[in-house]
Amino acid sequence: METKRSPKNIFVQGQISPESIAKSIANHSTKTDIGGHSIFLGQVRADEKEGGKVTAIEYTAYEEMALEKAFEIREAVFAKYPLSCMHIYHSLGEVKVGEICLFVFTSSKHRKAAIDACEELVERIKKEVPVWGKELIDNEGSVWKENL
Amino acid sequence: MPKLEPMTPTSIHVIAFGMIAEKIKTKELVLEYMPDTEVLLGYLYQQFPDLKQTKFSIALNKKMVVGKTFIPVGAEVALLPPFSGG
Repeated sequence: METKRSPKNIFVQGQISPESIAKSIANHSTKTDIGGHSIFLGQVRADEKEGGKVTAIEYTAYEEMALEKAFEIREAVFAKYPLSCMHIYHSLGEVKVGEICLFVFTSSKHRKAAIDACEELVERIKKEVPVWGKELIDNEGSVWKENL
Repeated sequence: MPKLEPMTPTSIHVIAFGMIAEKIKTKELVLEYMPDTEVLLGYLYQQFPDLKQTKFSIALNKKMVVGKTFIPVGAEVALLPPFSGG
């Protein structure tokens, strides 16, 4: 059976709450063909910068392009690995240090596909999806991040 | 300052993000039609010399382009600094 997928929103305003992550895990308990989940959580780090410590990251995105790109990555990863499920959430707006800003969740019959797919998704999202994080510093300055 | 003119069938719509929007002090420009990205870059560097020291990519109608690329009439041109999501 082939189902046609279409782009869906990956953006969440502010942090991704631990409660919503727990709920997302719980939602899979009825899918009993799944044998392994892999989860990546990106958390905002309190880096030391010139002039102070990072207190939060403010995320902006070219939303229409980001959703198209996320969909393209999603389809490619679905085609490459035997996955049962895939979920991607990214924050927009302000996320404080210690809070979650990226949630990638893959599920498959066996662990390897879920783990590899999750890693590939995270790498491709950081490299290819037009999202920008501005680190807010406790002296009220700010620094634009750049992914390596 | 560049003129912000109403959209016409031959204008191009430029949107800027992140550090680029800060440097040019606007998120949006409506420019007279320009045939390709090289001409556009020349114009931008002349209007906003600060951009010469800034790394950014160009997307045409939400697709990244590299090198001199033809700009379709009515295109949405995006100026994208290095991504830093996640």
